[in-house]
Amino acid sequence: MSREFFKNRIFPVLFMFVITLVFISVTTVIYTITKDTIKFNESLRLRRAILFAAGAAIPEDQDEIEKIIAKRVKEVKDDKGNTQYYIVYKEDLTAVNSYVIIKKGAGLWGTITMAVGFDGGIKSLRGVEVIDQNETPGLGGRISESWFKEQFRGKKSPFTKVAEGEPADENQFQAITGATFSSNAIMDILNTSSIDIKEIAGDSR
Amino acid sequence: METFKIKRIFSDNLGRNNPVFAQVLGICSTLAVTNVMKNTVVMCVGLIFVTGLSSLTVSLMREYIPSRIRMMVETLIIASYVIIVDIVLKAYLPDVSRQLGPYVGLIITNCIIMGRAEAFALSNPPGLSFLDGVVSGLGYSYVLLVIAFFRELLGSGSIWGFRVLGAWWTNWSIMVMAPGAFFMLAIFIWIVKGSLIKEEGGNNK
Repeated sequence: MSREFFKNRIFPVLFMFVITLVFISVTTVIYTITKDTIKFNESLRLRRAILFAAGAAIPEDQDEIEKIIAKRVKEVKDDKGNTQYYIVYKEDLTAVNSYVIIKKGAGLWGTITMAVGFDGGIKSLRGVEVIDQNETPGLGGRISESWFKEQFRGKKSPFTKVAEGEPADENQFQAITGATFSSNAIMDILNTSSIDIKEIAGDSR
Repeated sequence: METFKIKRIFSDNLGRNNPVFAQVLGICSTLAVTNVMKNTVVMCVGLIFVTGLSSLTVSLMREYIPSRIRMMVETLIIASYVIIVDIVLKAYLPDVSRQLGPYVGLIITNCIIMGRAEAFALSNPPGLSFLDGVVSGLGYSYVLLVIAFFRELLGSGSIWGFRVLGAWWTNWSIMVMAPGAFFMLAIFIWIVKGSLIKEEGGNNK
């Protein structure tokens, strides 16, 4: 009777406990090994995005990127220590090349995170980079394609949209056909970023 | 006996008993990741890896797993492998990982893996179970790739990200969205089952 009890009640619980312990340990080890690589990937992505949005050349080599960031990029924080925006200086460090702000907005499936770069006078866009997005691949996901991002260089907010493939003037950009929601999300992010950056970086100049 | 079984594994998983078009399992991911071929390939590789290894592991432990908690144990094994795939992608293929987003995690809920563990690995030796897992993953993969090929071609005018159809081609947006996958899957099942039924009918007469 007690043997039956052990076999039917106690053993399964013990078995599950031990096997869970084993598998959790294995995944924990793998997580610990790769943790730093994942963190590094994320910070590298942010650095590339800042340089791209500032319109600066992005070297292939990771060490070169580190050097440029250390030399030309200054992080500006608020009183609580949160990053507000980044100042990217010109190559000879004589003047400000660009102000870059990291901005989030609501996309169709999730949050869209962008780096938005403005020129030294905060009048026009230096460039935009999509850091993170979960839009529909093939539709809204095309906000990460280079033709879409490149079109913003030199443009001025507030933006309105024109249809894909149509000529756009300096306050307009080509939206993506079949991805109205994603295009609107980008428009909102860019328009609010330019208001924000004027507010926070405008007086410090 | 052994070779007969191996033959059965191939003919079942790739043909008559294919997990996608015969058993209609794993449809969630079939709909979700087949709009662009690149994502499909990564999803397929991930799935083959997880089905193979989880079948192997379940088979190795099949003598010891108490039958009343076997499903919990299977889920634990599958989930561990999926988390490992997710972490490894994040660390070493960050771009792919970002594109696939939550879909990698959703491999856990792919019924094919649990199905193979229950139907095959619990009653067969490790070597055969591993092979069965890998081959059923392949059976899933080739169906997905065919669907992805047509969806990307018709929906984006491109294959593997390269534009192959000229400017005259108007993209069928519906192919990029989930309904397009339903149409493609239905057409695929229709064609394949039609020819299978014809074959069987021929044998009976």
